[in-house]
Amino acid sequence: MSRRPTAIALVFQYGILIIAGVFAFYPVWFAILASGRLGDRLYTLNVVGMFIPTEWTFENYRAMLVDKDLLTWLRNSLYVASLTTVASVIITTSAAFALSRFRFYGREFFLIFLLAIQTFPAILSLVAIAQLLTAIGLYGKHEGLILAYTTGTLVFSTWNMKGYFDTIPIDLEEAAMIDGCGPVQSFILIALPLARPALAVTALLGFLAGWGDFVFANVLVPAPDSMKLVVPGLFSLAGSQNVPWGYFAAGAMIIIIPTIIVFLSLQRFLVAGLTVGGVKG
Amino acid sequence: MVSWSGRRRAFTILLFVFPTLIGVLVFNVYPIILNTYVSITNRNKFHPYPDCAAGLSGVLDPVCWPVFRDKVPTGLGEPYTIETPFYQNYADLIGDLFSGPTLLALLSLALVVVPFAAVGAVDRRFQKMGDRPVSTTVLWIGAAGVAVLFVLLFNVRAAWDTLMAGGDFIVVVMRTVLFVAIRVPLSFLLGLTLALILNSQHLPGRTFFRVLLFIPWAASSLAILVALIWQFFFREQGTINQVLSLFGIDGLSWLQNPTTAFAAIVIADLWFSYPFFMIAILGALQSIPTEAYEAAEVDGATYWQQLTRITLPLIRPAILPATVLTSITAFQMFGTAWAMTAGGPVRGAGQPGATEFVMVYAYKTIFQTQNYGRATAFAVILFVFLFGATLYSLRLTRLTKGALE
Repeated sequence: MSRRPTAIALVFQYGILIIAGVFAFYPVWFAILASGRLGDRLYTLNVVGMFIPTEWTFENYRAMLVDKDLLTWLRNSLYVASLTTVASVIITTSAAFALSRFRFYGREFFLIFLLAIQTFPAILSLVAIAQLLTAIGLYGKHEGLILAYTTGTLVFSTWNMKGYFDTIPIDLEEAAMIDGCGPVQSFILIALPLARPALAVTALLGFLAGWGDFVFANVLVPAPDSMKLVVPGLFSLAGSQNVPWGYFAAGAMIIIIPTIIVFLSLQRFLVAGLTVGGVKG
Repeated sequence: MVSWSGRRRAFTILLFVFPTLIGVLVFNVYPIILNTYVSITNRNKFHPYPDCAAGLSGVLDPVCWPVFRDKVPTGLGEPYTIETPFYQNYADLIGDLFSGPTLLALLSLALVVVPFAAVGAVDRRFQKMGDRPVSTTVLWIGAAGVAVLFVLLFNVRAAWDTLMAGGDFIVVVMRTVLFVAIRVPLSFLLGLTLALILNSQHLPGRTFFRVLLFIPWAASSLAILVALIWQFFFREQGTINQVLSLFGIDGLSWLQNPTTAFAAIVIADLWFSYPFFMIAILGALQSIPTEAYEAAEVDGATYWQQLTRITLPLIRPAILPATVLTSITAFQMFGTAWAMTAGGPVRGAGQPGATEFVMVYAYKTIFQTQNYGRATAFAVILFVFLFGATLYSLRLTRLTKGALE
């Protein structure tokens, strides 16, 4: 609002912002502190240590990176997440291209149908997917996970990309076609570069599907430890009684902090890519 | 419109849609069909394998397909068969939903919502009439009063207890509905408050606060790990109790008590979800022309009047889809509850725990008790429910409008 706020209003506003800011940041801050505390000390007995760093050691980080499987898990997760990203971007872009640039029989049905089947809870199709993957010999393998994740991203990303492509005028492509390009070529040369925000969002969502998921990774690749992805790996670490919580905190920081930084740096991009495409969520 | 016609065009379209089509058919449609079939069988850990000779099992279960036939495990247990009657799993789940007391209990719960629904209708009526005998705020307060009256009058507490003693399905779904009804308005209010503050121009440092307040959304992609951190706050020796002990208060064991465990999950999930509202509302606020406020200022409108007459109506189209979609995701929340309580505290053998929301219940039925028949029946009922909700929300928000032209 345009009115200059009074002093009381200003104090009030900053008060709310500061309380909300503490609420927003404290869990992350707490984990940072815990990650620098010696592993076997689960709780600091002085309350001060829960808010400001009274001691700091990199021992937990060293232990996670050297003694534990964290690096292997990270490599597995990066492998799965990046292949999911590539597959998801290629598949959804091509489908969104067809759905946005052509009018064909069954197109509307297909779009609504995509939305409708997506409402079937993913956790509940896991049994069938696990059986299917067992049958084709991909159960317990990363490739099976990649298949499951990629198909999991299809609906949302196809809708989102199609929505974004629809906002790009087709006139430019038609001009290129008059000059002798085919529809596919002109789309790739002209519309795709313009759709960079939507592509970025699709890529990010594809990456996060593999990076942050717990349930699928936990069920489809249960063992051995060297095959695990980083999220289920850390989760099981936190659940076992004989592993210090500081290890978990250090491992969690190693993957949470980069994720937050990527999100924050892509923030504007993300909001634009999601809202222009018409589907929000 | 792209040129090309005839066979070449059809071929191109098919080629481009093909991977999506196959992916969706194999990983979405097929699981739904198999699930629906399993939901009428007694498949569980004692009857794990299909009897390939028996009709549909041979067709639908992948281990029966000729290519994979040799992989059919022949271990312990008997093959599963179709239940008699075939809807037995559904009957077990729904329990005595259709008995007199349960329906009565549902009805009295529904009565509590009526005053709020009435406010909307009355408000629209006033708007058409052009003059308002009482303001909207008064209407809402009145509705809340009537609702409280109903709660006391119809003994809603007892009705709730009746429902909670029913079949698993009612218990779990009603609890999840309660969770959505508490969590979504809370995230909306928090998001709205923060967005309104961040939108004011005379506030040094608001970019800093915007980034800071955005952090939970970034962390929510790793929800299950962050939820473990939240669990730590609420533990018996956790941060909250340590701070409380400074003031000489003995804290509760928050996650062991059904009510506080529920509240803890609401708070943690609020943390993940308010930034989305904040960003969505902030975007909508920035599209409101300042002239609207200047005009209101000239007419002497108070801040509250500007908020209820200008701001809220103008951002409504943008936040409605966000609200509906958030409600559907909140209904399917899994990670937060799983990491914090894993569905507990336990209320008794064979009963869902006090924070077992729909997805937690499904996960436990599949992977812990391995009662596939019941879990898939649950899935089918939920699917019908969510499918209806999604279609309704599409109509309500006109999300697909324009996208289909």
